[in-house]
Amino acid sequence: MQQSMKPSEKLEQVEIKVKVRRFNQERGQYWQEYKLVVDRFTQMTEVLRRIKSEQDPTLAYRASCHMAVCGSCAMKLNNEPRLACKTLALDLVRKYNTNEIVVEPMDFFKVEKDLIVDMEDFYSRMYKVKPRLYPAKEVVENKAEQRLTPEDQKELWKFAQCIWCGLCVSSCPAVRIDKEFLGPAAHAKGYRFLADPRDTLYEERLKVLIDSSWRCTYCYQCFNVCPRDVEPVTTIKKTRAHTKFLKQKSEVAETGEKHVKAIFESIRNTGKLEEAKVYLTTYGLVTSIRDMLYTMRNGKTQLALIKEKKVNEIGQIQKLMGEKE
Amino acid sequence: MDKLLYDVVVLGGGLAGLMSAHEVASAGYNVAVVSKVFPTRSHSSSAEGGIAAYVHGNSDPNDNPDYMTYDTVKGGDYLVDQDAAELLSQKSGEIVQFMERWGTLFNRQPDGRVALRYFGGQTYPRTRFVGDKTGMALLHTLYERVSGLSVDFYNEWFAVDLVLDEKRVAGVLALEMRTMEPSLFVAKSVVVATGGMGMLYAHTTNAYINTGDGYGMALRAGAALKDPEFVQFHPTGLYPSDILISEAARGEGAVLKNNKGERFMARYAPKKLDLAPRDIVSRSMTIEIREGRGFPGGYLALDLTHLGESYIKERLALAYEAALSFAGVDATQEPIPVRPAQHYYMGGIDVDITGRNPDLQGLFAAGEAACVSVHGANRLGSNSLLETLVFGRETGRAVVEYLKKHEGHSSTSLEREAEGLLDEAYRFVKSESGVHFGEILNKLRQVMWDDVGIFRNEDLLKTALSEVEKLRSQVKNMYVSDKSKTYNTEFFNALELRNMMDLAVVIAKSALNRTESRGAHFRTDYPERDDKAWLKHTISYLKGNQVEIGYKPVTFTRWQPEARVY
Repeated sequence: MQQSMKPSEKLEQVEIKVKVRRFNQERGQYWQEYKLVVDRFTQMTEVLRRIKSEQDPTLAYRASCHMAVCGSCAMKLNNEPRLACKTLALDLVRKYNTNEIVVEPMDFFKVEKDLIVDMEDFYSRMYKVKPRLYPAKEVVENKAEQRLTPEDQKELWKFAQCIWCGLCVSSCPAVRIDKEFLGPAAHAKGYRFLADPRDTLYEERLKVLIDSSWRCTYCYQCFNVCPRDVEPVTTIKKTRAHTKFLKQKSEVAETGEKHVKAIFESIRNTGKLEEAKVYLTTYGLVTSIRDMLYTMRNGKTQLALIKEKKVNEIGQIQKLMGEKE
Repeated sequence: MDKLLYDVVVLGGGLAGLMSAHEVASAGYNVAVVSKVFPTRSHSSSAEGGIAAYVHGNSDPNDNPDYMTYDTVKGGDYLVDQDAAELLSQKSGEIVQFMERWGTLFNRQPDGRVALRYFGGQTYPRTRFVGDKTGMALLHTLYERVSGLSVDFYNEWFAVDLVLDEKRVAGVLALEMRTMEPSLFVAKSVVVATGGMGMLYAHTTNAYINTGDGYGMALRAGAALKDPEFVQFHPTGLYPSDILISEAARGEGAVLKNNKGERFMARYAPKKLDLAPRDIVSRSMTIEIREGRGFPGGYLALDLTHLGESYIKERLALAYEAALSFAGVDATQEPIPVRPAQHYYMGGIDVDITGRNPDLQGLFAAGEAACVSVHGANRLGSNSLLETLVFGRETGRAVVEYLKKHEGHSSTSLEREAEGLLDEAYRFVKSESGVHFGEILNKLRQVMWDDVGIFRNEDLLKTALSEVEKLRSQVKNMYVSDKSKTYNTEFFNALELRNMMDLAVVIAKSALNRTESRGAHFRTDYPERDDKAWLKHTISYLKGNQVEIGYKPVTFTRWQPEARVY
């Protein structure tokens, strides 16, 4: 106890240099540096607050709760998308082995001023999934009680903890190239209600979520940056599993389903991913021939013509996949 | 200046504001919610431990709303208006069920019903919770619900001042923070739900945005604050960042210890021990630290290691995470370093049980911005989330009743008054020299902590008052160096400081005036509660540089004052 709780008098003080990428309409983009002394408890929101109140009141940023539940202070610190409050200055110093900390606004969103970005795009994605519970009429009228098992509560709460900070969307490569993809946060929110046994909007939610869920590229960047460990990518995976309940599927969803099935078959039969075969099963003969011509023109045909042999321990693989011996 | 017409403008997008907006919108009236942050960034999100409620069929079989009222009245050291406390208890079950229906993921018992835990000052366990992120869970549920209704949200808009039509509130002057464009919101009624004021203190568990804007606006408009001297300190702020370690920790069995390893609360509250009300635990801790039984640096130990790793990580996830992230302490292995920090403001805009302010027609207030008074001299844990929702709803309903009788908008031209208020605010930008907000702010926070803090006396308070008055006069010479037209946050910080100063002078004066000790207001020169002289509410107005103090009786129903022993 005495050992681990060091007295504040003996706190190690370290001088850091904070390099901020700034922007305003009058001046455009520019870099500015500040120096200040911090200790091992100093949060990056506190660094910013002290810069603003002691050195440069013109610096603009968002911050509110400083305990990682409000989601205001999302930004890039040494090129990592993070909440400033949940980042201790000296942890960055240690990790990057330099006293210089680079502070920038989040990627993807339009910068309004300094570290403040326009979040409208993020919010509009969230509203698309109807982010609210629609309970049964009898429940709303107080004629019926709704119960929830502790297990369901635990499962849903994990995904309900999104604080709308925007970090996952700012760092998602798929949202940049695919306008139809809702993005990780909206998927987490959508799934939280899709999976809630008390909700009555199942069909409608499926329609909103399924096609988009097949547009995720599974890069796991949202998983890496989420400050609340919501795991949006897990919700996307779980949403995809609902594809079979949808009567009319979009092309993307149908192709996706075929693709997953093809991969499963390939591994069950050979223990390997037979790229060419998977491609053929997923996209069908016509598309495959068209794409084949394209790859031939680019000199990559040999990749499609590799012959796959079964692995020796195929029996064990099939056992793992739940097949009978 | 743009003019926007509404039946009601709600200032603040936290739980109280959203609940009021919900009621008004559901009754078919036009409502605008004006908030300086996106609603889920409100300080309601930081509330951790839970919401107290008596739910028929899902409470301790011995419990009933009367016990709840009694606990609240006693916890508040008999300064509680008992009709308000009764209403709070009686409506508690209904409001929790309302939130549950709309999707709040309360922790569950094995049979699927909502689970309960103990909190300080409760006779029976009645706190319902979502891990230790109850505020966040409730706020998201309510925001998601209200954003599906026809409510106009003005997020990241800064309300500067209330606009008056003689003795009636007729609107609000607000600026869009992104563009700095001012708008006059013309409204038949205004609900102030702007939350608390923790940034007045050097050590606080509050969000950076809690700068008491609503109190400042109300005071300048001529409305009184009730019981402004009552500032609550929470016993367990994480050392040294003051992040809240929820009372839920002690509710779940965590124990406070001094540097000798003693469970010192046994000396101060032999029956309730660590679960005595917050004022008592905060003072006990301060005494321990002052008398040399704290750890070097000035803190004590909150031990929850005996609860077990999985229990801690599930039920006290935020406490575990905060200790690990911000103090480098693994709470499953060693005690958490804690010290008291400012936490809640019992004082607030004077309103009755319906949220109506008696000074200005059309002015309503709810949540921490208001003083109903349901917390009296000291709030019990789990009662503030409950208050925001119950009185947010009561206020919304009262506003609807008010609107039925007040059809038209103000007939007088309000533009001139709004222009005047805007010029007054813009002075900071137009000045070319003077002091920056930061220079005054840090001094204010230190004075309030040192001299208007956990222990008070005449000397300290007199020093504080003259110091605050001096700082307040400096605000007039404040200037904003940023002249840009986009998110000029320096300008908004200056306006926040103006609000903080108007409030600080009222707190200091009212604390000096109350020559007794009651609840969170502890005077070392008057250590006893004095019911003969002081069983009454303070009612403070700010007239220019003068604080004018009057009184109002406390409402009694069934509970007579008794000694507050735990």
